[in-house]
Amino acid sequence: MDFQGIHDRLRAIGAPGLVGADEPRQGDPKDKKDKGRAGDPFVLVDPQRLTDFLRVCRDDERLCFEMLVDLTATDPAKDQAHLWVNVQLLSLRHRQRLAIKCLLEKAAPRLPTTVPVYRASQWHERECAEMFGITFEGHPDPRNVLLPADWVGHPLRKDYQYPKEYHGISCE
Amino acid sequence: MISLEQSFEDNILTTKVDWLLNWARLSSIWPMTFGLACCAIEMMAVGMAHHDIDRFGAGAFRASPRQADLMIVAGTVNFKMAERIKRLYDQMPAPKYVMAMGACATGGGPYYKYGYTVVKGVDRVIPVDVYIAGCPPRPEALLEGLMKLQEKIARSSVIRKPARTA
Repeated sequence: MDFQGIHDRLRAIGAPGLVGADEPRQGDPKDKKDKGRAGDPFVLVDPQRLTDFLRVCRDDERLCFEMLVDLTATDPAKDQAHLWVNVQLLSLRHRQRLAIKCLLEKAAPRLPTTVPVYRASQWHERECAEMFGITFEGHPDPRNVLLPADWVGHPLRKDYQYPKEYHGISCE
Repeated sequence: MISLEQSFEDNILTTKVDWLLNWARLSSIWPMTFGLACCAIEMMAVGMAHHDIDRFGAGAFRASPRQADLMIVAGTVNFKMAERIKRLYDQMPAPKYVMAMGACATGGGPYYKYGYTVVKGVDRVIPVDVYIAGCPPRPEALLEGLMKLQEKIARSSVIRKPARTA
């Protein structure tokens, strides 16, 4: 199925938390500020129901996304109030992919863990948690995966303050 | 009275203790098997037949810091690793030497500005004897660094304390 087909199928089975969809488009040549959008088409999902949504994507026989390829986050800009959580799914049986995006409030980014559906997301969620400060509620092992355990701050946030020193080693 | 010189003729070589010790040390610098990033690939190339660091007696890469004389910091040092490096350095028996190989180990390299976890030079953690420029350095550069270290060892003395060995 192409993206339109997947989106139609998701709507037909009433996938929980489905908010909308967005496809890349050309910019308007008359309007110079409209540069269009590059990249993949994605579906927009309510983060609080992301786990249920993924379960439907995995179990529906027409979608059958057996594999979670990636779960990551993006801090688009300093002045934006939202973080994005991006999920990439792959169906080996139907040879199709799906990109999912959730918007999370920067002030208190929390969402339920997706580990019960895809166990592959364990390390991805841990990395998101340390890099962006997103709390994945119910994660079975919420330690840092890359940074030291006592690291202060979330380095991939746009408002990150670089450390002055770490354990007596100067960072200046 | 029998002359001492005559009785040992052709059997004894007279030299200075310094020269002998330094010669022994600089001819058998055993490095530690210890690669952190892409520089380690060049370090492995130096160990292979084409460049062959064994010509200079430094080919016996040891798997334990307790058997090593030289730590080649080959790659990017981050804060998590820096504490381990310090510990490994402390476990090496003196006299011990450190080479900072490549831009990262020398001063943070390309991660200097935005590498939030990169130590900006391994000399902030342990004393360094020889810095090798390059990103990564050619194998010849590492050999050059080794020879510089050998020159440094040749200058040291058991009586005067060596300048930069802890």
